[in-house]
Order: sequence, then C-alpha cells, then structure tokens
Amino acid sequence: MLNDLHYRLRALFQRKAVEEELDEELRFHFDCQVEKYMRGGMTQEEAKRRARLVFGGHEQVKEDCREARGTSVIETTIEDMKYALRQLWANPTFALVMILTLALSIGANSAIFSVINGVLLKRLPYPQPERLVRIFLSNADFPKFPLNPFDFLDFRARNHSFESMAAFTRGDVQLSGAGEPIHLNGFGITSGYFRVLGLQPQLGREFDFNSEIPGNGLQIILSDRVWHTQFGADPNIIGRKITLNMQPFTVVGVMPPGTEHPGNGYHAVAYGENVDVWWPFSFAGNSNNRGPHFIEGIARLKPGVSVEQGRAEMNAIMAQMAREHPSDSGWKVLVVSLHSEIVGARRQLLYVLLGAVGMVLLIACANTANLLLARASSRQREIAVRLAMGAPRLRVVRQLLTESLLISLAGGALGLILAFGGVRALVALLPADFPRSHDIHVSGSVLAFTLIISILTGILFGLAPAMQASHTDPKQGLQQGGRTTTASRHQNRLRSALVMAEVSLACVLLVGAGLMLRTFLNLMHLDSGFQEENVLTATLSLPHVRYKDEQTSQFFDKLETSLSALPGVESAGAGSDVPWTGYDENSGFNIEGKKPAPHQEFHARYHMATQGYFRAMGIPLLAGRFFNEGDRHGARPVVIINRAMAERYWPGEDVIGKRITFEDEPKKDDDWLTIVGVVGDVKDQPSSTSAEPAFWWSELQVAQPDMSIAIRTRSDARQVADGLRSAVHTLDPELAVADVKLMNQVVDASISAPRFTLVMVSLFAGLAILLAGIGAYGVIAYTVAQRTQEFSLRVALGAQRKALLRMVLAQSARLVVPGTIVGLALALSLGQVVQSLLYGVSAADPLIFAIVALLVMVVALFASYVPARRAANADPMIALRAE
Amino acid sequence: MTGRIELPQGTLDLLILRTLLSGAQHGWAISERVQQVSSEVLSIQQGSLYPALHRLERRGWIKAKWGTSENNRRAKFYELTREGKRQLELETEAWRKLTLAVEQVLEGA
Repeated sequence: MLNDLHYRLRALFQRKAVEEELDEELRFHFDCQVEKYMRGGMTQEEAKRRARLVFGGHEQVKEDCREARGTSVIETTIEDMKYALRQLWANPTFALVMILTLALSIGANSAIFSVINGVLLKRLPYPQPERLVRIFLSNADFPKFPLNPFDFLDFRARNHSFESMAAFTRGDVQLSGAGEPIHLNGFGITSGYFRVLGLQPQLGREFDFNSEIPGNGLQIILSDRVWHTQFGADPNIIGRKITLNMQPFTVVGVMPPGTEHPGNGYHAVAYGENVDVWWPFSFAGNSNNRGPHFIEGIARLKPGVSVEQGRAEMNAIMAQMAREHPSDSGWKVLVVSLHSEIVGARRQLLYVLLGAVGMVLLIACANTANLLLARASSRQREIAVRLAMGAPRLRVVRQLLTESLLISLAGGALGLILAFGGVRALVALLPADFPRSHDIHVSGSVLAFTLIISILTGILFGLAPAMQASHTDPKQGLQQGGRTTTASRHQNRLRSALVMAEVSLACVLLVGAGLMLRTFLNLMHLDSGFQEENVLTATLSLPHVRYKDEQTSQFFDKLETSLSALPGVESAGAGSDVPWTGYDENSGFNIEGKKPAPHQEFHARYHMATQGYFRAMGIPLLAGRFFNEGDRHGARPVVIINRAMAERYWPGEDVIGKRITFEDEPKKDDDWLTIVGVVGDVKDQPSSTSAEPAFWWSELQVAQPDMSIAIRTRSDARQVADGLRSAVHTLDPELAVADVKLMNQVVDASISAPRFTLVMVSLFAGLAILLAGIGAYGVIAYTVAQRTQEFSLRVALGAQRKALLRMVLAQSARLVVPGTIVGLALALSLGQVVQSLLYGVSAADPLIFAIVALLVMVVALFASYVPARRAANADPMIALRAE
Repeated sequence: MTGRIELPQGTLDLLILRTLLSGAQHGWAISERVQQVSSEVLSIQQGSLYPALHRLERRGWIKAKWGTSENNRRAKFYELTREGKRQLELETEAWRKLTLAVEQVLEGA
C-alpha cells in the first residue's frame, strides 16, 4: 500500500523525470531490437523499419504505461489543461468572446436561481413548515374569505386533523410615551398562535385561553425589533406597563429575532418580519349571531395527515355548522399549504424568468459550440497529426472537452461574480411586496447550481465539436497540408442548424419582451380613474378610548378645514383608503324595490369619505353631488356610489335619489340611505379587469376611526408633509401620522411587478438577439472566408459584385427566415404560459410578432452585411495565383 | 511468426516474475528470455510488456534500478522484491492447480 502511494506520488510530482526514464527505457528496447535484426543480417535501415513496425505506436505504449502507473487520470487532466490553456492563450480574442458570453448567461442564470432558491425552494423558517396550512372560506362571490370568530371556535373545537389551530387579524396600535407617538403594525392573535408556527418567545410567554375572554385583553407581546428600538432591550420588560392606544398594556412576552409574519389577506401585511406587536384576540358577542368575517385561520396538521384530508374534515365540519346556523350555509372551507399561500402567486413569474434565462444560456451554448466548430476545422491538421501519432480518438475527445470545460468553468466563475452584483440589483428591483425577498442571496446551493450548469454547459457545447473533430480522417487531414481546410458538408449543416436554433430562441424572448413592454405601457397609460400628480397621502388612527363617534367625526372635519387652509393646498380630505393599496372590504345590502336572485345577495365594496376626499383624489363626479357639511350625524343618511355599482344594480336608470339599506327589515326612514352622487370607477389594482361596484358613506355620519388623508397641492406635494404633521398635532399631540407618501409612489408600487418582469425579460431578450447576431455573423463570415477562392474566381470570370453581395445575403436569409418562423411558432405555442402576466395585450399580438420578425431580419442582415461586402470585394488575383 | 500463441490473460505477470527469479533483468532481456525458454512459442509484445512492468512495480512486487547492460548502455533493471517472491509462489501454485484441473477435464471428457 505504502509502496503504491509512494510510486503514484513520484509519478505525479516527478512526472518529467518519470517520463524521461520511460522514454529512455523504450529507446533502449528499440535499439536492442534493431541490433538483433542487424545480427540476423539486415541493413540498419531495414532493421529500424522492421523494429518500428513490431514496436507499434510509441505514443500508445507510453499512454498504456502511464495508465499502468495509475496516475493517468490526474496526470492527463493536468496535461490536457496545460494544452487547453496554451490553445486558448494562442487565440485570446476567441477565448475572451466565449468566456464573456458564457459569463453573462451563466451569471444571469445564477442570479435568477438565487431568487428561485430563496423564494421557492428554501424552507420557511418554522419547524416542519410543510405541516402548516392557512384556512379560508370560499363561495362563488368571494373565492378567498376570512372566517368569523365563532366559526373559528367551532373549527378549533371539532377537528381531529390538526395538532393546533389559531386565528389572527390585523389591528395596528399607537405607542405613546416619550416623544412623537409611533404607529405599530399589530395583530390580534388567539392563544396558541405561536405554538402553531412552532415559535417560542425569548422572554415571557404567549397568550393562554384566559386572554381570549373579553376584558382580559390589555396584554401585549413585543417583537424583538420593538423591544430593542423602543425599550432599549430592557431585560425586565415582562410585567411592565406600556401605553398603547392611550391604554395601559402589560408586556407578557418578547418574540425572538426572525419571527416571520406568515402573511395575511385581510388588511394585508406582507410575509416577513413585518409585525411589531401582538395583542390577544377576544371572542365577544353571541355565538348564535355569527356576524362579520374578519379573522384568518392558520393551523398545524398532525403528522401524517395530508392537506386534502384536513380540507375534507373541515368541510364536513362546515356542513354540520351550516345545519346549526343558516348564515353559515353556502361556504366551502379552503385549506392551503402556507408555502403556496406565501409564494404561490409569484411562482409563475419566477418560472417564466427561469425559462427565459435558460433560453439565453442555450443560445450562448449554441454560439460557443459554433465558435468551437469553426476552430475545430482550422485545427483539423493538428488533430490529424495527433491521431496519426497513435493518440486514441477518445483521448482527442477528452482533450477537446477539457478545453470546453475550462472555458465554461472560467465563464461560470466570472458569471458568479456577476451574479453577486446581479442579485443585489435584482432584489432592489423586486416589487416591495415580493415574498421572502430578504431570503435571496448567493448561497451554497447557488454556488452548486452554478458549478453544475457550468459543467453541463461545457459538455453541451463542447461535445458535438469534439466528436466531430475526433472523426477527422488522419490521412485527409494531413493531405490537405498547410491550407485552411474546408469544413465538411455535415459540419456546415450543424453550424447552420445551431444558428437557426439561436435565432428561434431569440425570437421567443423578443416576443416575450414585446408582450411585457405592451403590458407595462398599457398599465402606465391606463385611465386610473383618479389623478395621482401632486397628492400626498398618510394614515391616521383615532384610539377608541379618547374618540367616540362624535369626536371622531369632529376631528376629521376640523382636520380637513385646517389642511385646506395650508398654503399651496388645492383640496384635502380623508377616506377609508386610497386607491390601489389592496383595500377589499365588502358589504351586502338591500335595494328599495328590488329582490336579489336566491343565494346572490347584492354586495359592493364599502368605503368612507369626507367632503373633500374625491376632489383631493381627483375622482370625477358623474352625477349628483359630493358630500357636504350637511351630511352629518342626525341628518338624512346619504351614500355616493361608483359608476360600476350604478350600472350593475340600476342599469339604464337614474340612480340619484334611489335608496339602499343594510337592514333586512327596514322600519324607520333612517334605515334607508339615499344615493346623492355617482363618481367615476377606480379599479382595485391597475391590472384588475374591471372596477368593483362600490359605495361611500359620509364620514360625518359613520365616524370611521382609521382613515387615510389625501392632500392635493398646486406644486410639489412633499412640501405639505410638515404642515400635515403640525395640523394633526395641533388637534392632538398624541396621534401618530403614518405611511406618509406621494400618490405617485403608490401608483409606482402597484405596477412594480410588471416593471420588474419587463426589465428582466428585456435584458434577456437583448442578450439573446446580440448572441444570435454574433452567431449569424460568425457562420456567414466563416463560409465567406471558406469561399474566398470561389468568389475571386467568380469576379475574375466577370461576376457582378452586387450579385455576390446578394448571394451572401440570400445565404444568411436561408438561415434566418426558417429560424424566425420556428421561433415565432414556438412563441405562439408558449403564449398560454405568460398570458396571466399580461395586461391589455394578447399573447398572440400580431403587431409584436411582426415587429420581432422585422427586427430579427434587420439584425441578421446587419450581421451578414460585413462578410457579404468582403465577398463582393473579392480580389480576382487570389484565384489566379492560387490555382 | 508461426507456432507462436497469444498469451492467455493474466499469465504475463507470472512469466515476468518467474523470469526475474534468476536475477535482475531489463525489459528487453525479459522478453528475449521468455521467447527463448518457451522455444519461441511465447512472445511478449512490447506494447504489453512495459505497462505490465510498471504495474508490477506499482504493486511493489518488483523494483527498478538503473544499471549498465551487456552492451554498455544505461538500462533499467528490474528485480523481484520479497513480496514479489511470495506472489510468484502463490501464482505458480494457482497456475499449477488450474492447468492440472484443465488437464483432468480434457482427459476425462
């Protein structure tokens, strides 16, 4: 064993000495053989010739000896690598072009994979996350709806599928004490909420069943961040009283860093460390009156129970409950794994990007293969010599593969550096609400991925050229002598096919980029229904302790007056929400003189607004009037509706003066709300297909405490931010002004996902067409170089130079036209995949297809024009001299 | 090359080891000796001799050192190691058993 090791080590590290010894040994043998033949009477010449015949391929014997020494794998690899490096060094431009194109495409792949790895593949940061599910209700009108508290209690009490179940609902709070009050993202949670997630407080405990009893609610659990930033990480915080919403809350726990909010749908807070405090949710009211839906369910399945089994049991329980409570009928229970709830909506976008970037890599492979093929034919002589010297074909293939692997690994290493930078840029470009974006970085798996695709790429683009080169016929290769050899027909066909494939893939990506561009432009130039320029928005919450209904109405009334008086302000108002921020409250109602179809109650989005809200937001009045100061508590209840609601429920009628009610059996006149105005439609999101029916209550009549402020100014709206703060603090110094931002920013954020897709796909498409252009140029230039003689001859025989130009351009067209046709067909068949990412444009948009076809032609023409000119300028003397 | 037969698989090592039992030899002498002793029936091709020598050396059954040949040239001489001698005994015995068994089958059939 030791001997073996010693032997191998010497063979490896004193390779030169060992090789020389082998040479000498074999020469000695050869000479003895020659001597023997000469003793037998041969001349020296004859003897040598004979010995050489008997001896066989000198190289082959040496190769076998190396193999017998047992070091051949490492040794030949080192040798191959040195050889490959020499080859690359000899032609640095060629090497650089290949390495750079590969680096760009491998880097892009690694960057996109980093996103996929962080968002889709990495496990959620909870123990056994695959057992976590979210629970929703669903019916025809509301595919994903929150639970009502009493439904939740029944679910929790009756199920056998879940280890634990909890509910939570958004409820932000205001922390006051020292300095300006601050707004905190808060959630009301039932007992066991953190147990479901598998998390434990770092200090104190989580809420128990006692906290669910009404009246026990003044307790709070802090996030690690709030504990640090607001309380200096006080180790004795447990038991301390802090002022939230102007009431004393007792701190019972502090969660550890990394406590990720699992995301929620109702007044959504994105997945991540985005929650500051948790307060105990209590079940007040009568369980026989099931009431509104506003809490969200989360649960942990028992080991071995599937999501489907959980769903089946929950639906059986729901059916039971529907028999007990009529208002529970018509609902199905939706049980969705937490992972797909968090990332599900983004999965398709990521796969589309992965597909796009994969195509770029394929194009880069085809390009590199093409360059290698071109070079392999000029290296034919070298390879023929090696084969003639007795090098086995496999050895030649291995050598060429080593070269291509060296190129691809260099490209991969450089690509990785690009990926490090690229990922940072990518994350910065991601939509703000993109799930798990803080989990995206170049990790170990990304390194492994890069290594694997680098190797695969090297084999993919290296194998065909290597195989082909190894089939060089030594005799032919040598005979052709010093002249640049012509490639075989077969090789030319392969090269043409590769260019066609490149053109096809580039077409697909260009069509994709075109579709994304149209989508983005459509969304940008959408008639939003409001005017976002020069509007500042913010949110305010009035704590219930200090603000009863009367005070709330008065507060917003006064605030509106003082904001309108600020210099530069055109109009100001407050509403329950601002457009495009995910607000989705719904309410059913009855219409005077109309009956809904069975199981199809009238419903619409409900909002609240002050007098100035619509003017400040730039939402136009279509009929009737806006709210005025007469629409206050005690006066006749009024409502403003949007055009969609008017058209859905009163098609073709004049709606002003029509009445709706929220009572099932309205008795008094005050139970009815009279429609006094119709305003323009605003969709939930820019990409929503149409606006939902919606109505607005007068804030002076309903006194909603959580409102969004909107201020329209004559010039830059940012300048009014300080005025807003001081106006609020003049009225109440203990209120927090939160979410101060321009309406422009809201609009910007709402189209950030299509913008991201557009930037990515355009980047990939640009890279693709550049590579395909290089590929086309390479092939045309190469064939022109091959046919220099022919062209000179043609010129010598009197051919028109223009005809030669046309001939070469026609050759290029023969590559590009079929490639484009295949590419467009491919794009058409892939249309279904991206349709849901598009807005206002069909995946088969003829204009885009036409432009892409034209663009590809122009690029190809441009790429082949230079070589075509060269052909047309062929020197007739070359032909005459050569033959 | 009439009357010569190809070496059966695995016997090359045995022949080399046996040839070296009488003392250190260089590669050329080994092949000549085998041919001579076997009355020109067995011949070792250089293409397999040198890889075999290198393999045996790696296994530690023979070791090499440089010396001077009969015609006064530097040549690489191989000699048996102690392990090589043991290996030769083992292989010889195995070979005897094999040929005996083959013989018996041929006779009996």
